[in-house]
Amino acid sequence: MSIIREHTAATLSDAWRTINIDALDPDSSSNFDVSTLHPPQPEITEADVRQLASQVRQLLRGGDAEGALRSCLEAPVYNAADALAAELALQTVTEVLQSIKASEMTPMLRGIYAAPGGSEGLDVLMKYLYKGMAATSSASGGSAPRTPTRMTPQPTGLSQFSGRPGASAESTGGAMSVLLSWHEKVVEVAGLGCIGRVMTDWRRV
Amino acid sequence: MSQSLRPYLQAVRSSLTAALCLSNFASQTTERHNVPEVEARTSPEVLLTPLTVARNENERVLIEPSINSIRISIKIKQADEIEHILVHKFTRFLTQRAESFFILRRKPIKGYDISFLITNFHTEEMLKHKLVDFIIQFMEEVDKEISEMKLFLNARARFVAESFLTPFD
Repeated sequence: MSIIREHTAATLSDAWRTINIDALDPDSSSNFDVSTLHPPQPEITEADVRQLASQVRQLLRGGDAEGALRSCLEAPVYNAADALAAELALQTVTEVLQSIKASEMTPMLRGIYAAPGGSEGLDVLMKYLYKGMAATSSASGGSAPRTPTRMTPQPTGLSQFSGRPGASAESTGGAMSVLLSWHEKVVEVAGLGCIGRVMTDWRRV
Repeated sequence: MSQSLRPYLQAVRSSLTAALCLSNFASQTTERHNVPEVEARTSPEVLLTPLTVARNENERVLIEPSINSIRISIKIKQADEIEHILVHKFTRFLTQRAESFFILRRKPIKGYDISFLITNFHTEEMLKHKLVDFIIQFMEEVDKEISEMKLFLNARARFVAESFLTPFD
């Protein structure tokens, strides 16, 4: 019997070459259990986040913006039960950040940093800042993709005078510039190590 | 530099400086290979949290750090269709000459216009602050370049249209 006979259609095709055999090997490094890299976190449900959010709003209404920010940072939502809880937590933090005036940022951050456990608090704030920038850009980017089909044809030669099509992005741009100025202030107060700890920490908000 | 561009570039600069902390790390799956982990993705424990810095929904930077390499992807501002075409042509011109830029990736990752890949070998050969300066300078220049090209294109189109329509005058 010739060796050619033993080939079937399945073995002759080279689809098997594309199988990632590392994924099937339990001892492979690609199956490393990343949950061992951080301590187990209690699961936080949407109700818990809502409760925290209402507390924070009450503090904000009372004019205690620093207390509101502190209570946000003391209870970071690491292990959210669902996407909605995480979203709500981020929204609460963004709301607090937006309500604080630019001139109050640095003294407030210095106050938080000097308090015991303040360094961790600013790390948490940094995580929320990056999350905020990532979330807003991907959420709105997904709903309004920049494809040529959606763009309106413009009179050639006049397009630079016409209304900026990015005008709808102004609202998100405003929120983004708040996050960017907070980012700058946090780096000023807590240093670059703060960003390093955001990158290496597996407890992600 | 416009008022909102400065904090954006400052945030990118500090994030990049913090992320460019690379060491030599051989592949754990293939013996005697040394690959950028952020591309190979064979060891989840050496990939760090990706950072996004955004100025608005059309302008953002994604920094994906790992133990021996980082990937920086930039989404360049595209306000209209002409800018979209210009950005595409411009990034295509650059990526086709990727070997002379050393850190430029040949293909941008999905959702972004241009990507850079910096490995520990680059940081060993080149100065870290110069690498950061290069990325920041690129981001500054590219916006200027695109709007300049757009103005030039419009002027040229007007001139062409005028001379084309002269006989019918």
